[in-house]
Amino acid sequence: MPGALDLPFFRDGLAEVLLLAVAAGVLGTWIVLRGLAFFAHAVSTATFPGLVVAEGVGFSAMLGGFGTAALVAGLVGIIASRRRTGADSVTALVLAVALAAGAVLASDVFGTGASVDRLLFGSLLLIDAADLRLAALAAILAVGGNLLWGRRWLADGFAGKGLGRSAPDIVLVVLIAIVAVASLAAVGALLATALLIAPAATTRLLTSRMRAWQLTTVALAAVEGTAGMWAAFEFDVPPGAAIAVIAGGTFALVALVRVAVLRTPRLAPAAGLLVLTAALLAGCGSGGSADRRPQVAATTTQLADMTAAIAGPDVRVHGILRRNSDPHEYEPRPSDVRAVADARAILTSGLGLDGWAADVVRASGAHAPVVDVGAAALATSGAGGDDPHWWLDPEVAIAGTRSVEAALIDVAPAHRAAIARRAQAYRARLVRLDAAIRACVDRVPAAERRIVTDHDAFGRFAQRYGIEVVGVVMPAATSRAQASAGDLASLERTIRRTGARAVFPEAGLNADLARRIATDTGADAQEVLHADRLGPQGSGAETYLGMLAADARAVVRGMSGGTVSCAVRP
Amino acid sequence: MIGWLTEPFGEAIVARGLLELLLLGLLSGGLGCWLVVSGMSGATESLAHGMLPGLVVATLLGVPLLLGGAVGLLVAAVAIALVTRLPLTPDVATSIVITSLLGLGVLLGLSPSAPAGLGGLLFGDLLGVTDLDLALAAGLGAAVTGLLVVLHPRLLATGFDRFNARALGHSVFAVDVVLVVLLAAATLVAVQALGSLLVAAMLVGPAATARLVSSRVAPMMLLATVVSAGASVVGLLVSYHAGIAAGGAVVLALGGMFLVTLTARELTDGLRRRRIA
Repeated sequence: MPGALDLPFFRDGLAEVLLLAVAAGVLGTWIVLRGLAFFAHAVSTATFPGLVVAEGVGFSAMLGGFGTAALVAGLVGIIASRRRTGADSVTALVLAVALAAGAVLASDVFGTGASVDRLLFGSLLLIDAADLRLAALAAILAVGGNLLWGRRWLADGFAGKGLGRSAPDIVLVVLIAIVAVASLAAVGALLATALLIAPAATTRLLTSRMRAWQLTTVALAAVEGTAGMWAAFEFDVPPGAAIAVIAGGTFALVALVRVAVLRTPRLAPAAGLLVLTAALLAGCGSGGSADRRPQVAATTTQLADMTAAIAGPDVRVHGILRRNSDPHEYEPRPSDVRAVADARAILTSGLGLDGWAADVVRASGAHAPVVDVGAAALATSGAGGDDPHWWLDPEVAIAGTRSVEAALIDVAPAHRAAIARRAQAYRARLVRLDAAIRACVDRVPAAERRIVTDHDAFGRFAQRYGIEVVGVVMPAATSRAQASAGDLASLERTIRRTGARAVFPEAGLNADLARRIATDTGADAQEVLHADRLGPQGSGAETYLGMLAADARAVVRGMSGGTVSCAVRP
Repeated sequence: MIGWLTEPFGEAIVARGLLELLLLGLLSGGLGCWLVVSGMSGATESLAHGMLPGLVVATLLGVPLLLGGAVGLLVAAVAIALVTRLPLTPDVATSIVITSLLGLGVLLGLSPSAPAGLGGLLFGDLLGVTDLDLALAAGLGAAVTGLLVVLHPRLLATGFDRFNARALGHSVFAVDVVLVVLLAAATLVAVQALGSLLVAAMLVGPAATARLVSSRVAPMMLLATVVSAGASVVGLLVSYHAGIAAGGAVVLALGGMFLVTLTARELTDGLRRRRIA
């Protein structure tokens, strides 16, 4: 596997945090000195709805973020300067409203629910050249502002003045907004304070001379940012969260050491040594494994399982999604980029389900072909529609195995015969399973074949076996949308009217809403379906064929109110 | 028109959400006003964010959310109390603790090994409230209101004038501790419906709006309760008819009410000033 520094996105991430360290370090000292921490938090959170709008409408994310941040900063500033009390309540309220507005816009207006996590907590794969330019600009502006207005800010700070409407204060507020926007890609709207405040507060415990304080803050922010980026890369977590935890830990350590040293000054050198050792211990590496077989990457769990069954021992298959992750809301991780960089072909489920795969391929700099299995399967099987859950119709899945087979043979032409044989056998099993499911569903009277599913995933399954999906709990093809009061109420009416007997929660998603609806309508919510991902080992749905069989058994038991059950086996 | 207004609340699932919100509104009417008056809005916001790791761990271990949230709040409160002893302003101290805890919650909740759907803890599930949630909200609302009535004279003495309260022999610290404990309890109950990011709006929003109109405590509390009930109804109506997320719609309604009240206040103040001049 390539090391961190070989990958372009990691080098960009590193450059980004180092530039941000300068901007945030310099400005952070002023935020701490002037007691603006809560204000800075609100301004950076306020960028969230702006980002969502920018992403949905399609203009520059930074412009959107800066727009709402400036609006909120102005609003809070005006209210705070007009009314002597209550600025903090306004800030708290504005903060919550900004989050709510962002969430509503993301899930209901633009349908970009999946990017909420990324916008709130940052993403290593999100950083591009424009972010780097903005970070550089923020660093220059912060240092410039520091040189021009530093004395004035310092005087006001020691005089204990709050924010006023003087020019230097307005400059300070604008700078906070700019740095908050610049740090969005790396740390996200909700955790910008990890770079803006935590390093400055930590070094504040060590020095109170302004110049020394600023220099150590920039250095500490650079170290914490780098460590956070490395942790984000190595452990596949959002960089904002990693930086926040590292910065918090460092603060705690420094605070503890400070308390110990103040009590017994002789401990000072020992304490310094302790901090140094801890820092060194934190910087350990990890190894990789050697496998000479060609590798392909597949996005979803069911596609990876199908590909692995056909590949057998001849090709190594790396599944990007784990069994517990949801393809709709998935945010690619650095390890996916590494796996894709090594792959000779990238198989995607397609039809918009795993649109993030394109980001991964771009970030890895890989030149391997991307095979859209879903689109190919729909084209060759003649099935239409844009429902991305094609694998829930065995006939379409059979068409899908053909493009998987072709992709594997391209990667390992020496094993052509073996791959073709395994693909043929897999298709035969799918044909048998399809017949068994049909026989089982046919035992339920046609009038009773009605189901309510958690998200809109079972359209193709239902159509194939003559079942009617009377409603879905989440009225969207994505599982990340939030339900509205109107949709749920009309769903309950539909269930009562049609007499559907069962609401099916989906494995791995929150079943509270489905259960609530079942209780309200007298339906049953016992049977759980697998739609987007395979079940855990031992659940019977841990393979793609097992999942189809388990879904068929559950649907039949649920629709018939438990009176019909059959032993459909993969 | 009447149907447009009443129809949503004939639906069991909406009516239940409204009931939960009204119960929380009673809480916010009483408690929220004291929080706003005592300058604890920041703490409200922070505690709600800081409990996230507790909620995530509770979901991962399969223990009740309430328990996880309680432990999370306790950790956050103790950490803030410890950090405040350092030579830093309280807002900086709080900000550090909350950023670290929120980061930790995200690390645990969004890491690839965590099950999907933990993101829901951030925004809650207003329409999925259970009977237990409702019972808790009712019980807690009653307990908090009772305590506030009993403590009213003490709160009155310390809330508005902390400096003189000390001179009169009242312990500001004890009152602050009581408020924080009540705040923690209210946050814990509200988080089930609104999620850890939006709780503060319900606690602070109505009180902040009411304060624009009156600075006397009793009218302010009454008004705050009315505002929260109004925002709940408006939010659910919008959510029902426009088809948007329920929790988010209620918070937006709260924000909207504040903005409208503020504008009205500014306009009437302006008129009055002109008349005097």
